[in-house]
Amino acid sequence: MKEKELLLQAIAGSNADYTEIRIEHEARSQVQFQKDKLENLESSTELGGIVRCLKQGGWGIAVLNDISQLPQKTQEAERMASLVGRHSSEAAALAEVPVVQQTVHAKLERDFRDVSLKEKKELIASYNRILLSHDKRVVSTSARYTDSFREVTLANSEGTFIVQQVPDITLLLVAVASAGKTNIEQGFETLGSAAGFEFVLGREEQATNAAKRAVDLLSARSVDGGKYTVILDPGLAGVFIHEAFGHGCEADFLFKNERMAEIMTLGKRFANNELNVIDDGYVPGLRGNIPYDDEGVARAKTYLIKNGILTSLLHSRETAKKMGAIPTGNARAISYEYEPIVRMTNTYIDVGVHSFDEMLAGIDSGIYAIKAYGGQTMFEQFTFSAAYAYEIVNGELGEMLKDVVLTGNVFKTLRDIDMIGDDKQLYGGSGGCGKGGQFPLPVTDGSPHVRITNVMIGGK
Amino acid sequence: MNSFLAELKGRQGELYHLQTQTLPVKFRSGKLESIKSKELEGVALRVIDGGRVGFATTTNVKDARGLVRAALATATFGEKVSLAFPAQEDFPPVDTYDPAIVELSQSDLVELGQDLIARLERVSSEVDINLSINKVVETVKLTNTSGVDVEEERTRILLSVDIEKAREGDIFLLFEQSEASYLSELQVDRIANSLIQQLHWGERIVPTASKSLPVVFSPAGAICLLLPVIVGFNGKSVFMGTSPLKGRIGETAFSTDLSITDDGAIPHGVRSASFDDEGIPTTHTPLASNGVIKGFVYDLRAASLAGVESTGNGSRGGFRNPPKIAMSNVTISVGTHSQEEIIAKIDEGLLVESALGLGQGNIISGQFSNNVAVAFKIEHGKIVGRVKNTMIAGNAYALLKDSLIALGNDRRSIHGMLDTPTIAVGGVNVIGQVK
Repeated sequence: MKEKELLLQAIAGSNADYTEIRIEHEARSQVQFQKDKLENLESSTELGGIVRCLKQGGWGIAVLNDISQLPQKTQEAERMASLVGRHSSEAAALAEVPVVQQTVHAKLERDFRDVSLKEKKELIASYNRILLSHDKRVVSTSARYTDSFREVTLANSEGTFIVQQVPDITLLLVAVASAGKTNIEQGFETLGSAAGFEFVLGREEQATNAAKRAVDLLSARSVDGGKYTVILDPGLAGVFIHEAFGHGCEADFLFKNERMAEIMTLGKRFANNELNVIDDGYVPGLRGNIPYDDEGVARAKTYLIKNGILTSLLHSRETAKKMGAIPTGNARAISYEYEPIVRMTNTYIDVGVHSFDEMLAGIDSGIYAIKAYGGQTMFEQFTFSAAYAYEIVNGELGEMLKDVVLTGNVFKTLRDIDMIGDDKQLYGGSGGCGKGGQFPLPVTDGSPHVRITNVMIGGK
Repeated sequence: MNSFLAELKGRQGELYHLQTQTLPVKFRSGKLESIKSKELEGVALRVIDGGRVGFATTTNVKDARGLVRAALATATFGEKVSLAFPAQEDFPPVDTYDPAIVELSQSDLVELGQDLIARLERVSSEVDINLSINKVVETVKLTNTSGVDVEEERTRILLSVDIEKAREGDIFLLFEQSEASYLSELQVDRIANSLIQQLHWGERIVPTASKSLPVVFSPAGAICLLLPVIVGFNGKSVFMGTSPLKGRIGETAFSTDLSITDDGAIPHGVRSASFDDEGIPTTHTPLASNGVIKGFVYDLRAASLAGVESTGNGSRGGFRNPPKIAMSNVTISVGTHSQEEIIAKIDEGLLVESALGLGQGNIISGQFSNNVAVAFKIEHGKIVGRVKNTMIAGNAYALLKDSLIALGNDRRSIHGMLDTPTIAVGGVNVIGQVK
């Protein structure tokens, strides 16, 4: 039986209050060099599906690779939903959304599926050579290329039937430099987009930068811990707004939690008038794009903060129903193995009016922190590691610093943003966002340069 | 020989076949939210053709021809390797399969979760509890053209709880988990008691100053110190020159009280298996003994590069990925005192339960700098309250060599791969906020 017929038949056979099936075909390849060795060259295919049933307010979910089992698995999901519905006093329900029947084709300048493994390998080998040969203190490298082309079919018992092609391409360039025993440093560049093979071409400069930074960090000074006025570059500011604030706007973590919902009440002031924070499901070429989310809801441009005031949260159909809001098209799943949960897409701080020089002026002793190694938050508390930094002395950039870890309380830090730059940039890295065991989800984040007072920095 | 390897027509190959059944049950804000049944199956084929290695995976487990074609295509441009797939060795089977986990029904898991939530809600009505229980039953089959033909069924159960207590201007988040390959070793009581104790300790918020202090890392918190160190024992990093332990076998790198081993064959160990994901029998590997570096862990590839034998640490983390080095069950030596006794001897310091930003930053150098997620202040040998907005920083290698105060007698499994007791070290840089 054809896949589409099997899918529609499975939905028709379900007695749940709501039934949704998503089937995904994926073709992907990977090239990875480590030091002077080709670590992995791979070409893989995958097919799988997920069924979600809602019955008596309970969710039952079944995941499978063997698509011929769809009708049986749909019945299993329905039985589990009933069991949950019987046990729980908290009934889930879904906000109404328009029925969509649509096919979305990916438009790639140069489709990476038509590029030979040989060409992919040679390109990454050339970047790896740049990383390796930059300086004799570079002891190891990693140059990794991935591409993935997914065709996702979503159908539900309300009549929605959407087929979307989802391309994703990434490049990660890492150099590790060493000057003996524990003086080991990394420099990296990370790139990702919903684009074709053209996206990874011409990245020689990034490779050089990664290697140069690893070597420079060997002789950089460790920052002294303490409180500083800090300028974040667009990369780190983007990670900050995504991790520290954006996750707090994902309604699924607060829609059943009144105390948390109270903290995130719409209309509350979170920052000064200059701050605008946006999650936008479609910015041409960006990695976080999704025309329709994994519940079939069309993308939206959502202002989380407008002129310093909290104006919206990000919603799935379930959180929107419970909170009396409109679904924002943010229910996303990383693959057929997972049910959609509330996630960001392309998230950024909008441009302000200040130049970088204006930000520097008036800082007697501060830090210019650039790019993020990583970040983690526990609701109000956040920690980010800058990839590298420079000290700011009497309004001017000084020497390079390392081990710069920024930490604080997000609400206080948002209020302490005192200048927003006029130079917004958005980045889609090679990794992605992680939440609820779902990693990596392709997202983009960005910002202009941002100046924040009283940031706690942990050093050595 | 199976159809995939037969299709290779004389070339060398290795087929990894994984079937996984998982049953995650989720509770949100104390209420049952969903039950999910996941049945996954996929195969990975690694081939060596003309001395070059290729790799491909698929979920279409009947398409031998397609997978072989894809793997051979990658081998055409693959790395030249001196790798040979191992022959079948005899090995004592390790206990990896608990029928008691297999028999757990959906209702059993729901009840287990509801009971624990009820227990926690009795202690405090102002808490919000999210809980998940996941039962895993998997079958691994590994065959290669050198004669390995092994199969093993493995079970696991994972219980995670997070509790949040929000008050005006303060959100207290706690997290505990237990993972076991045998149901009898799932630590439900310990999770409940630990959460209740921490809720009690955390009632009061106390200030911390910025200074150098002794820090007691609970077993869960000890990951702050141990993660950077464990990374250094990866044989690949050692070969590549990125591990600070390179070339230092026989050298005293840690306090003489500290011994570290990796053992994939521990009975009922969370990551125990009879063979690794390349068909090599798992084994006991001393990493450091009384402070002296003894060895590193290897998979086939790193072992062939370094000219040593694989230690049975080839791990795939699912059927999609090629094997790479991973620790199995890392075990840290114990001391003689309880955590309470260790705390009793500290005049001023911190007890760290968990930290944010693990694995971030430059961990290969041993450097760590973390915002404490859950930590308590010790004054005159007693816990006096919880600290917030506080960072701890230092170098794990230096602290474990020169500043080890004590190892506890309370070793337990954390994060599914590490058995560690409480570890107390002196001279940790604490950056706090006095208000």
